[in-house]
Amino acid sequence: MSYPLGGYTGQILRVDLERKKTLAEPLPKELALNYLGGTGFAARILFDELRAGLDPLAPENRLIFATGPLTGTLWPTSGRWAAYAKAPLTGIWGEAHCGGFFGPELKYAGYDMLVIHGRAKGPVYLWIDDGTVEVRSAKDLLGRNTAETTDMVRERHGDREIEVACIGQAGERLVRFACIMNNYQDALGRTGLGAVMGSKNLKAVAVRGTRAVTVADDDKFMELVDDANQRVLKQSQAQQMMKYGTPLLVAYKSNIGELATRNHQTGLFEGADRLNADTIREKYYAKTRSCFVCAIQCKKVNRIRKGKYSGTISGGPEYEGIYALGTNCGIDDFGAVLKANQLCNLYGLDVISAGCVIAWLMECYQRGLVTRKQCDGLNLKWGNSDVMVTLIERIAFREGIGDLLAQGSVQAARKLGKGTERYVMHVKGMEISGQDGRTHRSAALTHAISVRGADHLRSLVTVDQLGYEDTAAKRYGKDKLPEICDPYGERYKALVVKDAEDTFAIRDSLIVCWYSCGWPPIFWMSDFAAASAAATGVKEFGDVKNMYRIAERICNLRRAFNVREGLSAKDDMIPERFTREPMPEGPGKGQVANLEVMLREYYRLRKWDADGKPTERTLTELGLADVAAELKRPRKR
Amino acid sequence: MAKIIYAGEGCTGCKACSVACVHAHDRAFGLRATRIWVVREEPLTDYPVVCHHCDKPPCRDACPVGAITKRDDGLVVVNERTCIGCGACVEACPFGAMGMHPTKRVAINCDLCGGDPACVKFCPPRVLKLQVPEAVAQEQRVGG
Repeated sequence: MSYPLGGYTGQILRVDLERKKTLAEPLPKELALNYLGGTGFAARILFDELRAGLDPLAPENRLIFATGPLTGTLWPTSGRWAAYAKAPLTGIWGEAHCGGFFGPELKYAGYDMLVIHGRAKGPVYLWIDDGTVEVRSAKDLLGRNTAETTDMVRERHGDREIEVACIGQAGERLVRFACIMNNYQDALGRTGLGAVMGSKNLKAVAVRGTRAVTVADDDKFMELVDDANQRVLKQSQAQQMMKYGTPLLVAYKSNIGELATRNHQTGLFEGADRLNADTIREKYYAKTRSCFVCAIQCKKVNRIRKGKYSGTISGGPEYEGIYALGTNCGIDDFGAVLKANQLCNLYGLDVISAGCVIAWLMECYQRGLVTRKQCDGLNLKWGNSDVMVTLIERIAFREGIGDLLAQGSVQAARKLGKGTERYVMHVKGMEISGQDGRTHRSAALTHAISVRGADHLRSLVTVDQLGYEDTAAKRYGKDKLPEICDPYGERYKALVVKDAEDTFAIRDSLIVCWYSCGWPPIFWMSDFAAASAAATGVKEFGDVKNMYRIAERICNLRRAFNVREGLSAKDDMIPERFTREPMPEGPGKGQVANLEVMLREYYRLRKWDADGKPTERTLTELGLADVAAELKRPRKR
Repeated sequence: MAKIIYAGEGCTGCKACSVACVHAHDRAFGLRATRIWVVREEPLTDYPVVCHHCDKPPCRDACPVGAITKRDDGLVVVNERTCIGCGACVEACPFGAMGMHPTKRVAINCDLCGGDPACVKFCPPRVLKLQVPEAVAQEQRVGG
């Protein structure tokens, strides 16, 4: 391979499922230089190739699997990859990231990105064997869960090391928050991209890559890799992550009164001790695993030895799973949480949305807005773990009340009416992740502005939540302390959220993991700039200013995608619970989020208008004049 | 002789050893040209597999063209120029520790990177060691 830039393979694989045609096209150098990889590439392609108002389940939607210039190298956490499409859950920008091994394998097969068009006439899977690409029948895979599908594809091709990304029963049934699974427990979880695969009749994508990726300056790159690994291994919180994984956050959040409980009605959960990292380690821990070449090693496998779920062995849950399927449903039975998490992985459901839609129904039941009869006779009282597990199954198979919940909580509430809408904890149609803007003020802004809806991963700031004063001083200046680290103040929060969103746009384009970047705070923009320059040989990537410019270009383009769909400042909201209902108890008692003031400041920093839209000038300055022109075109609606 | 030894627990299945191995030999990042493999099975199995440099190497005995030799220093080595890429050694190894290079199409096995193995250096959980088996046995006697 002789692509002029290192790190990339230099090829994009396009597959038209309708015509069963495949085409490997060269990666345009301009795309690499201006958009870096992953999220940047996808932003340009989805903006260019989709039209406003398109039904996300229509054949015209594109499904992109992307990698970046660091994917598949020895940079720690570089096993990440991502999928993109217009999202079935929200009807806006859809993006989901994943660990595991699929991303590196796709690159080793010779592709930076896979773009899937159209809809197959019957169930198919895609087989990518280096340069040989085939659309094959998946009739026998239909109805299989994600683990069975992975096993069957590997067996069929006689190779246990093939990487498989696939959907389960939920994706086949177009559940609006179906996920795509890779490697049994790694999920492209959010925004319902599994339903896009389902709508395309695409059960799985299997890859075997026997080639290799080279970087431009190998010596320099390996020097940076060694240094990065040392920094990870030495960092005390990274060491905690190695031991406990993300369940660490249960105790942190409990201590600061932000462990979202019973559909975010409070931040204190009485059963937190049964779900915290110490308890899990002591009673359930079975093994530590890791994504591709990762030094953080945060993946934990747990085993239930007693009780109803005895014999369950499964990876996870992460903190977000413990929140969504546990505390947010008032459940303190770890066995039930692990079981539900495992079922979500097998059926292919996003753990966060699945847990949140159940929590919403439980609150409606608490308030007498739904009857037991309406809910298949199930007793939806808080903490009923049997019902929670039952509902996961019903959602995945769209049975009974599960058919309603499978539409996502916003649509379900719209159908149910009677004031149930008020208790949907969402932004832009996506169920909220396990933070609370009342006690973690920057999280309120993060949830509000996130391009894919109520999401923490695109710009979550930890300097205020966890009090990283040294990190805050280093990044933003000592003069901004103490306000910048105050979790209950709005001051400087727009600044830190914008900076995180920019840095994470680069992180999501390289593509590397959120752990070691956002939390614990080890790497930031200058580290990414240095690694990108050494890997690709593009000197400009080494200039931090230029990296921020690329980041802003990506953020503006993703935002423009949503603006073209009709979104504006009115959609940058958070649930009223966070702005009107003071936190009822705990260290943050009495706190509410003042979103308005942070939003205004955020728009100003982004150089957008008061309605939250990128201005023509801002877009033009970033080299996006064509995007500005497209946004000006009258809509046919 | 010292060889790559896995302590028997602690492997996370991350495959850093494999990628580091490919990089050390080919200056490229990949998996299929590795000389150390990671078995990763659901739900709890991860372990590395690498050449034991046997005293009576079945790979050598299986090679029809005499491309594999047991050197005086103990290393089992493949002469890439003599190797015809038939794969007989790959089939013969009882551990599955002999591979075939995907582009060069010659047999490959662990060469200890000339004494400073990249896999040992990179292993994130630090569970690979360059050690003499007898020394491991001594440790086990003491620790066990």
